[in-house]
Amino acid sequence: MIGNQNYEYFPFASRVKNAMTATAQNELETDVQIGADGCARVILRGRLDAQAVPACWNKLELDLRVAKLKTLEVDASGLRFCDGAGLALLRYLNMGSMTPHATVSVFGLEGGLDKIFRGFTSEDYEAFRPPSRIKCRSLPDEVGNWVRHVTSDLREQVAFLGDIATNLPPTIMDRKRMRWAEVFRIFELAGANAVPIVSLISVLVGLIIAFEAVEPLAKFGAQIYVVNMIGLVMVRELGPLLAAIMLAGRSGSAFAAEIGTMKVNEELNALETLGLDPVRFLVVQRIAAGILLTPLLTFYATFMGVLGGVLVTLGLGFPLTLIFHQLTSSVHLSDIALGAAKGVVFGAIVSAVGCLRGLQTQEGPSAVGISTTRAVVTSILLIVITDAVFSILFFVLKQ
Amino acid sequence: MSDPAEIIISVRNLKTGYGEKVILQNINFQVRRGEVFVILGGSGCGKSTLLKNLIGLYAPMEGEIWIEGSNLVAADEDQRLLLFRKFGVMYQSGALFGSLTVLENVRLPLDELTALPGPLKELVALAKLKLVGLGAAAQKMPSELSGGMQMRAAIARAMALDPRILFLDEPSAGLDPVTSAGLDLLIKDLAHHFGITFVIVTHELASIYSIADRVIMLDSRTQTIIAEGQAAVLRDSAADPWVRRFFNREPDPVHSAKLN
Repeated sequence: MIGNQNYEYFPFASRVKNAMTATAQNELETDVQIGADGCARVILRGRLDAQAVPACWNKLELDLRVAKLKTLEVDASGLRFCDGAGLALLRYLNMGSMTPHATVSVFGLEGGLDKIFRGFTSEDYEAFRPPSRIKCRSLPDEVGNWVRHVTSDLREQVAFLGDIATNLPPTIMDRKRMRWAEVFRIFELAGANAVPIVSLISVLVGLIIAFEAVEPLAKFGAQIYVVNMIGLVMVRELGPLLAAIMLAGRSGSAFAAEIGTMKVNEELNALETLGLDPVRFLVVQRIAAGILLTPLLTFYATFMGVLGGVLVTLGLGFPLTLIFHQLTSSVHLSDIALGAAKGVVFGAIVSAVGCLRGLQTQEGPSAVGISTTRAVVTSILLIVITDAVFSILFFVLKQ
Repeated sequence: MSDPAEIIISVRNLKTGYGEKVILQNINFQVRRGEVFVILGGSGCGKSTLLKNLIGLYAPMEGEIWIEGSNLVAADEDQRLLLFRKFGVMYQSGALFGSLTVLENVRLPLDELTALPGPLKELVALAKLKLVGLGAAAQKMPSELSGGMQMRAAIARAMALDPRILFLDEPSAGLDPVTSAGLDLLIKDLAHHFGITFVIVTHELASIYSIADRVIMLDSRTQTIIAEGQAAVLRDSAADPWVRRFFNREPDPVHSAKLN
């Protein structure tokens, strides 16, 4: 009835703080009688619920395990209440799990309970229980699987590259299909909104490198060359890298999540049955935005990084004109062009990988999460590999 | 045994909504022990909001919700935890944890909230799965199950701690008639043999006729209950024409006029 604080039927209440303390009516009496002939009898009285079962289990373990029993009878006729946990205990006893060599019988259960008890037998338990899980694949098996996985992924990446190559030029030419509004939306999200975080990171990286370089260079009286170093490192390497890594973390993952969610929600299927190719409708815009914005972001990151280095050298007492002279004499137009070229390539890689991982999203609740992780990891991996290729090429070309 | 007419849930003067917007008001109803109670209504009438209020996920604006003698609305944190143990909830899509097997899903509440020995937890979980007819699927992942099986597994998990009330949110949504009928049979069985009280939100008419002991019908225009009673009686003799149309699957005259 309303207002009546009756928790009697809720065996798990005791696990909750401030629950009603056990009263006499909540108690279970467990009586174990072991005869000299190896025949034992367990008499249960009161409430056999999840609250009482652990203590009862311990008592039975203590009393029954030690004795070598031939038969065990469990008298349940005195039970006033029994829940799922209680029935599980009775079934466990009945299966002989506690008394391996004895024949066990359970009797005296009230009609309805008895029916539920008989509804789940030891045969059911044997049929449904989990197999012991020792699954260890052999090393060749693991390696083979990995190779197969990597090669099939590589094939998909190449196929996707072809897909983009065939779709990008005709779509860009066709103003109606290109959906420039979408390109500008992505441009703003991935580019303009990334400016604060790119500023902060680039300035700090420039600052850190300058501080680290000042001390060793000071030993040779060459502190002013910190500026040359920062200029070259930022323009040729770190500017493009920082911009691309920020893009991978912020936007590559977002592309994968957006497209992945669309796939999970069957929006991609809807596009296809409407006669719209997802690559032309979703991917091309993102790649175009990536290619356009990454060089800009690269220049910006470079500028901010150099600014960080310049701040340090200014702090060391060098005049600004000298710093500027050092910069212009060490950084050439070809270096800037290299940085921009890297920006274009990295931008294409990050947005393409993000989209590919999104399109590859599988079924299931964790699929989108896996896709975003893979997008970021693959992007950064490919960026570093491409950067290495750039360095080698440039080195060879200069010879 | 307890008195079959005992009132287990009582909702008084409930007013609910989001932000400033009132969705339902002046809601009063009672659920008796062991009955299958269905909350009905057209799309967007606030059925799911009312259910969220009942299971304590979302606080109503005003009113009282008494479950087994405790007011959920006024309960402090400890009392709420205690109340949460009294009922199980099956969410619309099953809401099984995708990274766990079906058996581990059912075991989870036992592992976290009871001090039972390991083998017994497994026995309890397997017994619940057998009860919903999923014993053989215990080792499968939720993604390997069909829609109907996921619903059954979700019911098994909701029953793991032997609650006496089960809340089901649209149990037959997206199921074929055969699977849906199987689920109805399970609900009836559990209600009659185990004395579990069911509160079900649905608009599946076939299910309602076969399982519901009593229904209430919510209405978005009046923002309150417009009909209460047995489904068959409401179908034939409800005062409100909209209620009769709902039960007889007749379109709104305005819509049919437009098409003609």
